[in-house]
Amino acid sequence: MSKLVCKKCILDSDIPGIQINEENGLCHFCETYTPLTQQEKNEYLAKIEKLFEQYGGKGNYDVIYALSGGKDSSYTLYKLKKDYPFLKILAVQFDNGFTSENAIMNAKKMCMITGCDYFQLTMKEEILLDTFRKAAESYDAFPKFAKYRASDICNVCITIIKQKLIEQAILQKAPFIVFAFTAGQSPNPIINLSVNFIQWSRNLFDKQLQKIGIDDKDELFLLKKEVLENIGENAPSILHPLCLWDYSENKVLETLLEIGWEPPGINDSNSTNCTLNSFACYNHMEKYGFHPYAFDVAGLVRSGEMPREEGFEKINQELSQPLIEEAASRLKLNIKNPQKLSVKV
Amino acid sequence: MEQIKNDIVDYLKANSFMDNSSSLTDNDSLTQNGIIDSIGLLELMDYICEKYSIEIPEDMLTPENFDSLQGITNMITRLAK
Repeated sequence: MSKLVCKKCILDSDIPGIQINEENGLCHFCETYTPLTQQEKNEYLAKIEKLFEQYGGKGNYDVIYALSGGKDSSYTLYKLKKDYPFLKILAVQFDNGFTSENAIMNAKKMCMITGCDYFQLTMKEEILLDTFRKAAESYDAFPKFAKYRASDICNVCITIIKQKLIEQAILQKAPFIVFAFTAGQSPNPIINLSVNFIQWSRNLFDKQLQKIGIDDKDELFLLKKEVLENIGENAPSILHPLCLWDYSENKVLETLLEIGWEPPGINDSNSTNCTLNSFACYNHMEKYGFHPYAFDVAGLVRSGEMPREEGFEKINQELSQPLIEEAASRLKLNIKNPQKLSVKV
Repeated sequence: MEQIKNDIVDYLKANSFMDNSSSLTDNDSLTQNGIIDSIGLLELMDYICEKYSIEIPEDMLTPENFDSLQGITNMITRLAK
């Protein structure tokens, strides 16, 4: 059967698990999609403000913030502090060994501009390279749905960040953790964590690490058990305010450039901070046959935050061969099919 | 009870957590069989709360209650009473 492409987003029937309804031309995600109304978004924002007022000002920080130095997280930090100037924020940047110098500079600059504290989380380079090499070589270590959200390499990286941000929130007695996820990346604006859930998530990640051949006995990547035991009465909540704000990539860039954020020097249409991302995309397409950003971009198109044509353009853009080769060389991995560097979805 | 199990499986299939051709027994682990992870778990929770008009207390969010069709069904039955 020839490939069918969803009439609303960019997903197609060649992606494993995606079915297009031949009658209405929609994928099952678009068929069942119910976006938040503006009123619901306003209600969530009012709820977030109330939470800040109710639980803020009690710990060392109010918010532990995930700052990559890329455009979305830089913009969200700026707007968060602009909308809620009373918040005391610790911005944590994870240097995964592939974070561009420009992203580190931008992250520090954004903290200076917004008056937030900056903390860089990193590990020994050899440990990070070994971890990402094993993630690249793994197959099916993450659930099927996780593969739709991101590449195996990105899934490992983002889960390390989540584990360590929860750890920081507990240590700093911060009631909130904020991520700059778009509506395409996270449909839930407020996630109230519980000790049981944190414990379970930690165990799941431990098993996923073991599946790819990593025994994290020193708890470099996992939330430290000792910290979790001292969590106290209230577990932190995770907030995703960016998915409640009007989002346009152009508007985000325009705002950032005005305040002094500098455009990245790396040629990657999907990341403005990580030089491993192109290789991670290439590796994912090699293993699973579809672009790891397809679902993310489809979510933005579905919600009207990105024009459909722009979505196709983004996903079909050729990956950066120099970035792929550089990352492969550092990871000591071979590129099996260089001709597939621009796999189209 | 069977209806709840069918609803959960339909949801997991419709949202690409599992293939249409796959099947699950009542006590198969959803996490160990690569069907959900922590993010998937949150999405499944949202679906269950909305579908059955229930609120899941934080202390019930355990593998015993959430990691198999049987555990989920038992939990929903208890909370929906």
